[in-house]
Amino acid sequence: MAKSKTLESAFEDLESVISQMEDKNITLDDAFKKYSEGMKLIKYCNDALDKVEKKIVILNQEDK
Amino acid sequence: MEQKKSVYSVSQVNNYIKNMFSSDYALNFIYVKGEISNCKYHSSGHIYFTLKDRQSAMAGVMFASARRGLAFKLQEGMQVVVLGSISVYERDGRYQLYAKEILQDGIGLLYQRFEALKADLLKKGYFDEAHKKPIPSYAKTIGIVTADTGAALQDIINIATRRNPYVQLVLYPAAVQGDGAKETIVSGIKALETYGVDTIIVGRGGGSIEDLWAFNEESVALAIYQCQVPVISAVGHETDVTIADYVADLRAPTPSAAAELAVFDVQRMEHQIQENSIRLLAAMQAQLDRYKSRIERYALLMQNLSPMAKLNDERQYLMQIEERMYLRMQDLYKERKHQLALYIEQLKAVSPLEKLDRGFGFVTDEDGRKISSVKDTVKGQQIQITLKDGRIDAKVIGKEETYGQK
Repeated sequence: MAKSKTLESAFEDLESVISQMEDKNITLDDAFKKYSEGMKLIKYCNDALDKVEKKIVILNQEDK
Repeated sequence: MEQKKSVYSVSQVNNYIKNMFSSDYALNFIYVKGEISNCKYHSSGHIYFTLKDRQSAMAGVMFASARRGLAFKLQEGMQVVVLGSISVYERDGRYQLYAKEILQDGIGLLYQRFEALKADLLKKGYFDEAHKKPIPSYAKTIGIVTADTGAALQDIINIATRRNPYVQLVLYPAAVQGDGAKETIVSGIKALETYGVDTIIVGRGGGSIEDLWAFNEESVALAIYQCQVPVISAVGHETDVTIADYVADLRAPTPSAAAELAVFDVQRMEHQIQENSIRLLAAMQAQLDRYKSRIERYALLMQNLSPMAKLNDERQYLMQIEERMYLRMQDLYKERKHQLALYIEQLKAVSPLEKLDRGFGFVTDEDGRKISSVKDTVKGQQIQITLKDGRIDAKVIGKEETYGQK
């Protein structure tokens, strides 16, 4: 599960990053770290969309 | 009295028979199948009918109190299964079927099996909410077990591609009715689980209860129950509820609805990512702004505390002092000048020169030494008399001392 983060958890992480960044007490250093973390998550979400139109795969009953 | 045998009254016999009937286990709970004839709905709410087959007939009644067991309108010629008891109506010496429940035949029996399996699986915990897996919100691969020729598949493909053309659909073509249906459905679920999909949709379009029957089979229920991948059931129409629907992790009323539940809307998702991106940026900007204004505040503070500022302050102070000094000097000068004027006036008042104005003269010797007494002069001495507008050189030609003066 290390690499294939689910979109759900990516969204959850994003929410938490944003709410941490909205905290008034965050240090600028941390804000930058969180920001780049957030941007990575955004990129991840976008990449995860994998925008290749997919044709339906039909399993052969003999395949099993 | 030759006859040894006892003689019984009619009612005794009928009562005896009634007791025999009622002590018979089979007759007290029996399914009887046949065709309805002579059906009469009585105003009291009771229904009288005759149940018959080709060879035989039997009287039946369903009392108003049992009417909950009848879900349709009983009609002539209907093939039904009646659940009830057989007992004797003593007054007429007739036995009849007392119906507790009447089901349409075929469907009736299937329904019976359905209810029995449902109760059994419920007891075994197949329907427990705790066992149900959440349907992934962002499934990338979706398995479908349905007929490859059915409208259900088309509906699913249409909805799925409209919502998200990037989601991979994997179809396991299954027979969804008739012989072998349950087997292919079961192997379809297993094959997709092995293939590796995020969600499985199992279903078919609408049909009669017999058509949908495969989804009421225990083996199908078991396959769904054991499947590690979340399963969405989509059997028939909204009103058709099968065992598969109870076991599935989520029941969709129709195949189209199943596709809506399984496939996330890519546009909404993109919008959401966009929104998050904007929020992230805004949060970062807000932090930067906060820091910037803090820096500005400090810069201002520093500026105020810098030596330059101090110097400026002192310079300013100095200028003020200078100004004050200057003003003071001016005042002082004016004051003194005024004072001087006063003195001049005073001096004027006592000045001897003033007196010269009034005809007095000022007498000195040749060297300018004042002569204030007659005694200071001698006869023939050269003296000078200063008047208001000049000097007279004179000679003492005589003198006379005034007496009484010291």
